[in-house]
Amino acid sequence: MKRHRRGFPAAVITLAILLSVVAWRAPAWAADEGAKITGTVRYHVDPDRVWRYRRYYVADHKTGEIAEAVVALRGQSLRKGTYPAVEEVAVIDQRDHQFVPETSAIRAGQTVRFSNSDAANHNVYSRDPLHPFNNTIPSGGELTETFPRGGGISRPVELGCVFHNNMRAWVFVFEHPFFQVTASDGRYNLTGVPPGEYRLEMAHPAGRLRWSKEITVHAGETVTVDIDVSPDDVQKD
Amino acid sequence: MLRHDIHGAPASRRQVLKAGAATMSALVAQMSLPNFVFPGQGDDERLVPFEGMPRTGPNSLDWETLTEWITPQDQVFSVQHYGSPEVAPTEYRLEITGLVDRPRVLTLDAIKELPRREQLMTLECSGNGVSKGFMNAIYNSKWTGTPLAPLLDACGVRSEATEVVFFGVDRNEETLRKDTPREVTVDVPFGRSMSLDDAMRLNTLLAYERNDAPLEPRNGAPLRLIVPGWYGIANVKWLTRIELRDNRYMGRFMGRDYVTVRGRKQGDEVVFIETSVTRMNLKSVIARVMRRDTVDGQVPVKVYGAAWDDGTGIDRVEVRVDDGPWRPAVLDAEPRAKYCWRFFSADLGLLEPGPCTLVSRAIDVHGRVQPTAADDEIALKRTYWESYAQWPRVVQLDA
Repeated sequence: MKRHRRGFPAAVITLAILLSVVAWRAPAWAADEGAKITGTVRYHVDPDRVWRYRRYYVADHKTGEIAEAVVALRGQSLRKGTYPAVEEVAVIDQRDHQFVPETSAIRAGQTVRFSNSDAANHNVYSRDPLHPFNNTIPSGGELTETFPRGGGISRPVELGCVFHNNMRAWVFVFEHPFFQVTASDGRYNLTGVPPGEYRLEMAHPAGRLRWSKEITVHAGETVTVDIDVSPDDVQKD
Repeated sequence: MLRHDIHGAPASRRQVLKAGAATMSALVAQMSLPNFVFPGQGDDERLVPFEGMPRTGPNSLDWETLTEWITPQDQVFSVQHYGSPEVAPTEYRLEITGLVDRPRVLTLDAIKELPRREQLMTLECSGNGVSKGFMNAIYNSKWTGTPLAPLLDACGVRSEATEVVFFGVDRNEETLRKDTPREVTVDVPFGRSMSLDDAMRLNTLLAYERNDAPLEPRNGAPLRLIVPGWYGIANVKWLTRIELRDNRYMGRFMGRDYVTVRGRKQGDEVVFIETSVTRMNLKSVIARVMRRDTVDGQVPVKVYGAAWDDGTGIDRVEVRVDDGPWRPAVLDAEPRAKYCWRFFSADLGLLEPGPCTLVSRAIDVHGRVQPTAADDEIALKRTYWESYAQWPRVVQLDA
């Protein structure tokens, strides 16, 4: 009996911990109750502060939609869910002495296949202390690299080529699926978002643009948040 | 589209245009920072992007937006071989030693008290143009410092001195005859040399300012050598020691790297010669292609570009469309300085829509013509330094 009295509370505590863990990992919302966050990322010109490389990312200078902007959510509410791993292999080519695409966003644990379509030898290196690597890719060759940890929108893995200083790329790695890289129309759509409070963030690494806003979404609703940025949103050193 | 005036304040293109060539000439004459606008560029012109070229990033020349004769700092490249040291100006010393009667050690303040001279110069990396991924390592500057020749004279150069070696603060281990029984590893400073004759006659400068501002660390602060008309490698950054010698200095960057291996046909034989990279070669490049709205199904096209050499002098620039005849370009009269690039433009009239290849070639005052990649001068070169072949630009002209 004495042994029972001492053992019972321990079992209860263990069970409680297990239940709490299960409860924490289980989705607290049905998938079809997820919210949708949508909008357009636009760049607004200031003629006194020229963004020299705007021509690469803004097709229509009058309307200003920005390509290759990363839009993502950050917040505790994202912990309400478990998210299946992504098996799809992302691809980054080296073509015309440029990483294509320059900006990618993947899930933690996802693999990227790097290829070299140029006649010259290239290389892919990262000096990120959490994920350093340095590999040469001969012409026509390829290599794969898995990115196990997510640095989120604030800490992309920056890539370069040791042979060609001008080549650069960024890989944003997320622990959740609520992110997107804009195409030339500047549009983003984040679907199935768990209800809750978030920080909606945008980063454009080539333009050094950063933007964020606190938002709250409820089950089943569609929220439109247009992201309007200008030289005021250029990240300072 | 805006430019910045010589004081850094924004000015509209129209305002700059109104300033006129006379004002520009005066600016150059006063050795201020000349601005530049391609003459005749219309507000209705729009850029035709190059096909198959990588994007330009920071700290490299953005050819397609080239408007400023003096390159802004955010487009200035830097190459370093032994890292990029940070040198506190207060602790900086320049030593002049070797075959001189009066060796000297100077502080930066002492150097600044010496006679001051300004030098306009285009500085290009000798590998610039080796591939489409390395086309932006060139910039034009006004350097300020003290001339080297009188300083060496003041040190009393001995009659037996023939060579001047310039050493940087940056240093590294170098291994010679690697993986052989005679392998040797030594810790050496970065060094480049030239003949004493060259050092004394080339308007060589010990520069502590670029464009009226102290040098940036990555560009060699607090003091770098400026050798007008010579490739970037000769312009030693973080300069800390000048040594007069009576024998040839053969450090890595004189004897192993930055050595051009070039063949020359002699009868049926090709003879290869190895030479240190020194003087810049005659070169031109189309910076950008501009177009207007289609006229009767054809596209009005104009090109803008730059040409430069070692100071010999550009006589003319010509531009060709596909395999057509060479057409004369207009060389800008101003701004102009002996060791600086000259901007040019060529109105190509109406071109058929579709893909086309545009290329420029420079011709100097002695009749030397910028070669093509297929000419022996380039085709028989086995190293990538001194990349000065004509550079065809491919564009797509939409109807």
